[in-house]
Amino acid sequence: MEERMETLIREMKNGDQRSLARLISCVEDRQAGWKDVMKSIYPGIGKACVLGITGSPGAGKSTLAGEIARRFLDRGLSLGIIAVDPSSPYSGGALLGDRLRMRDISTNPGVFIRSMATRGALGGLCQAARDVMRIMDAAGKDVVLIETVGVGQDEIEVVSASDYVVLVTFPGQGDGIQAIKAGVMEIADLFVVNKCDRDGADVMASEISAMLELSSEAGQERPPVMMTSAFTQEGIDDLCGVLSEFINQKKARGKPQRDHVRNEVLGLLEREMVGMLRERIMENGKLESALDAILEGKGDPYSAAEELMARVHLVRSRPGERKEDTRG
Amino acid sequence: MVQESRIRVLIAKPGLDGHERGAHVVAYGLRDEGFEVIYTGLRQTPEQIVSAAVQEDVDVVGLSILSGAHLSLTRKVMEGLKAKGANDILVTVGGIIPEEDREALERMGVGGVFTSGSKIKDIAAHIRTRLGEMCPHEEENRGLFTEGTQATAGTGHEGQ
Amino acid sequence: MKDSRKGIEKAAEKWEAEILKPRVKRFNLDRSPTSFHTPLSCDTTHFLDKVGFPGQFPFTAGNNPFDFWKAHAKTAALFGFRPDWGGAGGVGKYGGFGTPADYRDYLLRMQSMGRKGGPNIAFDLVTQCGYDSDSPYAEGEVGRVGVAVSSLRDFSIIYEAYTGELDIDKVPSNFTINAPAAVIIAMYACLAGKRGIPLTKLRGTPQNDILKEFIARGTHIFPPRPSMRLFRDTCVFCRSHMPSLNINSIGGYHIREAGATRTQDLAFSMANGIAYVEAGLEGGLAVDEFAPAFTFNAFGGSMEIYHEIAFQRAARRMWAHIIRDRFGAKDPRSMTIRQPITAHIGCSSTTLQRPLNNLARAVIGGMGAGMSGGIPGAFPPFDEPLGLGHSQEAVQLQLDATRIMIYEAKVADVCDPWAGSYFMESLTDETEEQALAELEKIGNMGGAVAAIENGYMPRAVAKSAYERQKKIESQEEFVVGVNCFVDAHEIDVSINRGVEATYDPELKRTAEERQKASLAELKRARNGKGVVASLKNLKDQARDQDKNLMPAICECVESDATLQEICDVLREVFGEAQPVKL
Repeated sequence: MEERMETLIREMKNGDQRSLARLISCVEDRQAGWKDVMKSIYPGIGKACVLGITGSPGAGKSTLAGEIARRFLDRGLSLGIIAVDPSSPYSGGALLGDRLRMRDISTNPGVFIRSMATRGALGGLCQAARDVMRIMDAAGKDVVLIETVGVGQDEIEVVSASDYVVLVTFPGQGDGIQAIKAGVMEIADLFVVNKCDRDGADVMASEISAMLELSSEAGQERPPVMMTSAFTQEGIDDLCGVLSEFINQKKARGKPQRDHVRNEVLGLLEREMVGMLRERIMENGKLESALDAILEGKGDPYSAAEELMARVHLVRSRPGERKEDTRG
Repeated sequence: MVQESRIRVLIAKPGLDGHERGAHVVAYGLRDEGFEVIYTGLRQTPEQIVSAAVQEDVDVVGLSILSGAHLSLTRKVMEGLKAKGANDILVTVGGIIPEEDREALERMGVGGVFTSGSKIKDIAAHIRTRLGEMCPHEEENRGLFTEGTQATAGTGHEGQ
Repeated sequence: MKDSRKGIEKAAEKWEAEILKPRVKRFNLDRSPTSFHTPLSCDTTHFLDKVGFPGQFPFTAGNNPFDFWKAHAKTAALFGFRPDWGGAGGVGKYGGFGTPADYRDYLLRMQSMGRKGGPNIAFDLVTQCGYDSDSPYAEGEVGRVGVAVSSLRDFSIIYEAYTGELDIDKVPSNFTINAPAAVIIAMYACLAGKRGIPLTKLRGTPQNDILKEFIARGTHIFPPRPSMRLFRDTCVFCRSHMPSLNINSIGGYHIREAGATRTQDLAFSMANGIAYVEAGLEGGLAVDEFAPAFTFNAFGGSMEIYHEIAFQRAARRMWAHIIRDRFGAKDPRSMTIRQPITAHIGCSSTTLQRPLNNLARAVIGGMGAGMSGGIPGAFPPFDEPLGLGHSQEAVQLQLDATRIMIYEAKVADVCDPWAGSYFMESLTDETEEQALAELEKIGNMGGAVAAIENGYMPRAVAKSAYERQKKIESQEEFVVGVNCFVDAHEIDVSINRGVEATYDPELKRTAEERQKASLAELKRARNGKGVVASLKNLKDQARDQDKNLMPAICECVESDATLQEICDVLREVFGEAQPVKL
């Protein structure tokens, strides 16, 4: 590994925020050597508890995350917060604003807040976010909060990579619980009806309870439904109580599950292979000439994909290995 | 794996000045230029700005100030960044900045002053150029430099 | 012979085919770069309903057949009257800097030069945001954009310049303050109490328009709902104790400056106005008891003169209908949009490039005002965007431009000269329709407060600002000297600018230290027990939504509790406003 990385890791473990920030960028950007960083920190991770917070836009997730963080900080826990916002599909840029809801705690030395854009290339958000969580873990954070909008598949996967998922809803959100995206409901370990100072919160909470009742099997533990309001501060202490309990349990539990590890290894492999395939297919204008043929009416996308697949010999050794693979 | 890097910019409003038009316009504009823009919102203390700049590992901090307090606020941000070893971050200032204060800001190490009438494209080009000058070896790491927009004459800026 | 509608339609078709289209084709255009309006464009047969006479419902043609200034215009010219710009109805020039003593001394100097308008106070940002001069947030900002006021004592020091023939029962005061408006109104009341002046004699206007702060100006403290509770309390208190004081000055101007489109400006201001009326009603007042004391603040602002004229006409008609039809007002005074400045170009239309051009721009705004029921004022002075204070030259040019419009061009000699124009009536209708549609959208969200809480209004304004910027950058819209006509052979005309030695820079520099020292002294000298007791009482009252907080705030002010101490108590009970995510 490059000496620069080694230094950064050492400094990060000593609590240097700049080094932590730099390492996150290195991994998020997939800069040369990023995998070495991950390999180097992997053996020491697993100490932090990762809490995912998701919900529809306007549910008050950032504010709630800030409130939770403030209470954890008061209890002497250190925190990493990852706030994920979508990248623009047009420019690739992003406007990241969740941080502004956490200004009370933003200069507290026990907290590190990082905004992350989905970037969206090749569905790699989930792995990148997981890597950032691990760096925060390696930096010694007791708790990592990751906050995303629960709208896209990518974002759902991100929170599902956390140890515990909180789904935040609020009264007056469109069609009530119907608006909660399928797939999000299933991964939630806890439901929060936020902004409960507003009309309709009770109804919303009971609707959620009813739905959970109907969809769960007898004897199965149902996720709790809680009501909070950052405005009146109602329910937030209780919510933190439940979360703390989970954090303590997790400390006792430890080891990662086999399924998760399998999924991750396969995921990394898939991305590696797709990247390789794409590169090979682009070589010598093979892809472009196939596209030309389709546009001229002499082919179709299905045959083109098949032919390209056949022309790529995956086992052939490549003329120039990628930089990152030759190091370390 | 495919490397993807973006220029990251913190747009910050230090002090109590509540005029956000310029900051909003620049935030939207730089997003559309392909930057990742972190917007802090109003009433940020220099400490909050420095801490955000460090944690977010931004390449640029853009301060928007229309209250006339630009000299003292900018100085504090510059000192804060230096104290955290982050004085390699490019700092630009936008807002109502009288011409005679431009030089004072530049002496503090500010790398761009943008007043009323500046174009987003010019601001973006200025940032790309300055970052390229500051760390040429990283140029190839930044996908965006391949677009190679050169700064054109004139200063960028923001409306009030 | 009288035209028939059919006849005009036929003639219009013929004109398009034989005159317009060939010409468009000849110049290789997609469509005509001009428009022409006929009786087909609008329905001008409902004159009484849609236009009416000046001073009568629906006030489209103006609030009055002529305003106060017009009655005295000739005398003013004969005697060379020189108004303090920025003030109206008896207040002086808008301003403020440094410590209260600095500003008092400045005002005394101005009075010795004959400027005897009432105080028109600009507060520093520290005060506007509910902090004291010794707060960590205050660093570098004390006395900068206005005068620092942390206590009743500070407030009283400014007013040492107003005694005798200029005492507060004789001159009005304006306070440009919103979030802590209740505290400043309380100080005004307490000052009168100390001077033995009946509250009923107090005149003036607090800006007290908190909703637009969330949309545009950003000096909010508390979340929207408790902010509206404070508004309600000031509204009720003013009406019962200070009936000659206006209640508020509703924005529009600030919303447009922040980037809103014309439609947004009109709709958002109306939505805010509706919320204020509802707050007054919630306070137990009847609409006609308080709506006449609402004022508006230089609604609008752009270079598009036709649109700005239509905007003023549409705004007056809309407000009149809202107040009468929605709230059942009977008093015509409730239904008018009272504003000292009407149409204008807005400071955001001025350019830093070739700044003298701003004089030409300001005249366009003044023409618009003169042709839509206002004083034809050239606003702002050309050097506005330089950020260095208005020079004497700029103010002189502005004043003379205004006089030329009034006396030479006679712009304001006709009421609503555009009434009955096919074009203007259709544009007025269109402006109103679009604003009503937007207003309905806000209504469906639950009104102005809800549309602030959910971020709609502030975000919409930010987006519009960006859209405008893109249009300028892509040269879809032109700004002379900025994105066109910028070649080297254009001349940058400049004149000397002698900035009035108004605010002593040395005083400004040292204001923070001196103000902090004086605050420390006040905190030592005052009766601490009284302060604590009054603040505790305020806290208890604040918890009960039904209580009017003004008596408790007056008590705090009187006991020398500071502005921040009062706001901090309210922060504790109300919470603080959350920033809007873009």
